[in-house]
Amino acid sequence: MRLLPFDYAVRNLGRSPSRLFLSVAGAAMVVLLILVAGGFVRGMSQALRATGGEHNVILMGAGSEESVERSEIPAATPGVLAASVQGIRTRAGVAYVSPEVHVMLPVTVGTGGMAKPRQVMLRGVSPAAALVHESVSLTEGRWPVAGGGADEVIVGRMAGTVLGVAESDVQVGRAITIDGRPWTIVGRFSAPGTVVEAEVWLPLADAMTATKRDTISCVVVTLDPYNEATGEGAEFADVAAFTKTRPDLELVPMTEREYYGKLASFFGPIKVVAWVTAGLIAVGGLFGGLNTMYAAFASRIRELGTLQAIGYRRLAIVWSMIQESTLATAAGGLIACAVGVFLLDGVAVRFSMGAFGLKIDEAVIGLGLLTGLALGVVGALPPAIRCLKPTIPVALKAV
Amino acid sequence: MTTNNTHSRTLSPAPALIQCRRLTKTYKKGDNTITPLQELDLDVPAGDFLALMGPSGSGKTTLLNLIAGIDRPSGGNLIIGGTDIATLSRSKLADWRSTHVGYVFQLYNLVPVLTAYENVELPLLLHSMSARERHQKVSTALELVGIADRHDHYPRQLSGGQEQRVAIARAIVTDPTIIVGDEPTGDLDQESAQAIMNLMTRLCEDLGKTLIIVTHDAKSAAYAKRTLHLEKGRLVEAADLAARRESTVPQPV
Repeated sequence: MRLLPFDYAVRNLGRSPSRLFLSVAGAAMVVLLILVAGGFVRGMSQALRATGGEHNVILMGAGSEESVERSEIPAATPGVLAASVQGIRTRAGVAYVSPEVHVMLPVTVGTGGMAKPRQVMLRGVSPAAALVHESVSLTEGRWPVAGGGADEVIVGRMAGTVLGVAESDVQVGRAITIDGRPWTIVGRFSAPGTVVEAEVWLPLADAMTATKRDTISCVVVTLDPYNEATGEGAEFADVAAFTKTRPDLELVPMTEREYYGKLASFFGPIKVVAWVTAGLIAVGGLFGGLNTMYAAFASRIRELGTLQAIGYRRLAIVWSMIQESTLATAAGGLIACAVGVFLLDGVAVRFSMGAFGLKIDEAVIGLGLLTGLALGVVGALPPAIRCLKPTIPVALKAV
Repeated sequence: MTTNNTHSRTLSPAPALIQCRRLTKTYKKGDNTITPLQELDLDVPAGDFLALMGPSGSGKTTLLNLIAGIDRPSGGNLIIGGTDIATLSRSKLADWRSTHVGYVFQLYNLVPVLTAYENVELPLLLHSMSARERHQKVSTALELVGIADRHDHYPRQLSGGQEQRVAIARAIVTDPTIIVGDEPTGDLDQESAQAIMNLMTRLCEDLGKTLIIVTHDAKSAAYAKRTLHLEKGRLVEAADLAARRESTVPQPV
């Protein structure tokens, strides 16, 4: 089958600049929406997945596996664990055992108490937290000190987003109010690509005092990978065996990755809603596109009849129309992808666990471009078929 | 056979290029069945220049469209160059048109986004040939219709007469078996119409092309070798036509 020249499709785009603008802009909006949905889902999944350390095991109270915030375990657990399990990583004699308190509390910026409080994940930590959470690094200031006279905290890089304020409001030296009590920011930290960046960390003892508890939420330990040749290191099973030997502690072990993986699946319905919303709006956009393309094709039914009279097959004409439509939507898709990469990638989004950055990666871009192409094909086919339906003599009489 | 030859009655001994036998076309319009063409017999020899005339709804354009292969008969046979085109599939018929038919439209029907050159080149893209050969054919066609100097103009930059010349170049560029024209001068002023009809006459006389045109204009029809009149889907004999014309002339009281 002989096709119409590609030039014909390209030049047809220029027939109506306003229609071309509508097609390109419409496709760009739909693709942008797909990118946002994709970036949202990827960003959330990756942030939760990346939060778990590769060799970390988290021990929490039995029955609280769904959320570490509800967990309570004896404060003595870290010492017992370090003494009982061989193969826990150490550095300069310090074991990678981090007792932690996880709690969600209302936080406001400043000390005036006028601002609307936001729920923020607070983590009470000891200096060992810096060992087990390898992705965390202090970028400004210093580590908070317990009982130093003033209550001190360090904040993650996304704290401003979570609190709904500018980053300048959560710089070192500024104050935040946690549950009605003022705390001074003494440092800022980053933990790229993880939800930890949206947290506020404070000394463990202060956290326990502030929350009036004598228990901790969990213990996070880093194991040295087991080496068969030397017999050194430990596996998850060793930690699991420990919890069985100490039923009195009522501990449940879970790899940190498994824990955050479960959290990710907990957010599954939100991801589905994001996709369904994007899909529905895309379908709406598609109908708009169908209308635009129909108007474009319907205005030249006589020309379509002429091409058939010359000897072009209908399939060749449909193909040219698809080329024309796809060129417009692909251009819209490319514009949307450029906006996505340069303006949306990394944009912080709040959610109940804290915040994460939109992830506009290759897969999301690929999906966006495919959507643009699909819009072109699906948007062109029904109007093309409809406009080629009249017989040639009827088409030649079209105004 | 019911041919009405206004110029001569010489019959070609060779089989006619176009043979219509009991050619019928009907279509539904609401609850009514319309029959624009009724069991029409017609032979058109190669090299003929035939003008089809008749009132609106007489079936002349239907007959032209059937011969051009852009419409299908409801009954009868339509044999052109030995092929019964009524039996061809839709795609085969499209291929047949690209080789055997050049169509000239009343409103020129040039593609507005293509230049004169590209419009003429369009039918050639349906055939296997080198770009050089294509260029040569397009240039020859444009020269033949006297519009070579406007080859890079878009239709909107041409006058009606010039557009129709480009349309004729597009119709002849593939060297088709027959050239059909539906009111080819219908949208032109008298001067341009004359020039176009002179050009079509040259195509027939100098290049030996077979031309069939539909026209309302007796002046345009006069350029043809013969004129056929249709009424209610049937050919009208010259004698009948003359009698009918006489009967419509007001009689002195």
